Amino acid sequence: MASIRKTYRRTPKVELRSLTEESCEFVLSNTDVSMANALRRVFISWVPTIAIDLVEITTNTTVLNDEFIAHRLGLLPLVSSRVKEMKSPFESGEDDDWTDVEFHLNVKCTGDDTMDVTSNDIQCDPRHPDVRPVTDPEGKGILIVKLRKNQELNLTAIARKGIGKDHAKWSPVATTFFQFMPEIHINQALMETLTLEQKQEWIDSSPTKVFRLNPITRQVEVENAEAYMYDGECIAKAEELGKPGLVDIHQRQDMFIFKVESTGALKPDAIVVMGLDVLLNKTHDLIESLETEAQSHAAQAGGLDS
Amino acid sequence: MTQERKAPLPKSETSLTYAIEDEDHTLGNSLRFLLNKNPHVDFVGYSIGHPSEHRVQFRIQTTGEITATEALRQACRDLKQICAHMKQTMAEEVERVKSGAADMQS
Repeated sequence: MASIRKTYRRTPKVELRSLTEESCEFVLSNTDVSMANALRRVFISWVPTIAIDLVEITTNTTVLNDEFIAHRLGLLPLVSSRVKEMKSPFESGEDDDWTDVEFHLNVKCTGDDTMDVTSNDIQCDPRHPDVRPVTDPEGKGILIVKLRKNQELNLTAIARKGIGKDHAKWSPVATTFFQFMPEIHINQALMETLTLEQKQEWIDSSPTKVFRLNPITRQVEVENAEAYMYDGECIAKAEELGKPGLVDIHQRQDMFIFKVESTGALKPDAIVVMGLDVLLNKTHDLIESLETEAQSHAAQAGGLDS
Repeated sequence: MTQERKAPLPKSETSLTYAIEDEDHTLGNSLRFLLNKNPHVDFVGYSIGHPSEHRVQFRIQTTGEITATEALRQACRDLKQICAHMKQTMAEEVERVKSGAADMQS
């Protein structure tokens, strides 16, 4: 059995290229598309965050209707570093489970100028002060609605834990994507049949800076393979110059450039680790239910025999 | 062949369809991929009957050496191992990058 299992590649490599407060980029290699895609899907729709889910409006004399405001509130990213301590209404069993965070918003425009109601005006739950709308470096807050003189908004909002599969407001990522690592081979023998001008012309045909001309050897080199956008321009140009096969470009099926851009609810590295935890839990649960299923089948079969 | 030939497993155990509730392509496609890599698996495929139906139907047919359940269990264990390994390497990388950033500042 051991020999068979060697055929799987079960030790993917991760190389973290950059990590900031809102995004991270890493190269995932020694694995395959199905794993990369599972990861991408898990980041988008399975990693839990906190978002406003229930809004009770007492007064709303703004130009936006109640539902519209409730929807806008739901989309505000909330700092979800403590999401692991929370339970969603679907998983909660005990009475003392922490499921809700309450917010209040009570604003009235008294001045003559238009007033902006932003996420900074939201009053946080005193029991959970660390669950709050995310802040931007300038501290301007996220605009919810604008008020004219004498317009008023008074509401209570309840935030809950949830996942992106239920509603996109719970998705911790703004975008996450992966790109296949390009593999570029230049046919140098064929390249040498081109004049220097033609070489430069061919290099310039690529809309992104992928190739360069070595000033000493006068050879065309790959400067940055990752800049290649799979646009096929340089291949078309080679054909136009009457030299098909000048360059050979492949998408590597075992190496991916991953980018995770957070909404601010969770740190990008936390999204990756929590995503992997979700996948681990899924497989763990499946193994467990396979065991119980096998046992109940065996019991049934035993019952039939006797 | 020195090895004694074992009686083939009954068909009822080597070709099965599983219904996995509350799952989607995330788990379905990765498991299908891993099962496809298993040389004891003859056929594997999955389908989600309808987009609003949160159930994955999983078909496994083995060559007869192992049961379908055993094949699925192996695939689950492999996926678990892959995830655990990725989690560990990711944690190491985050540590490395963070300490690197700290060095730059000091």
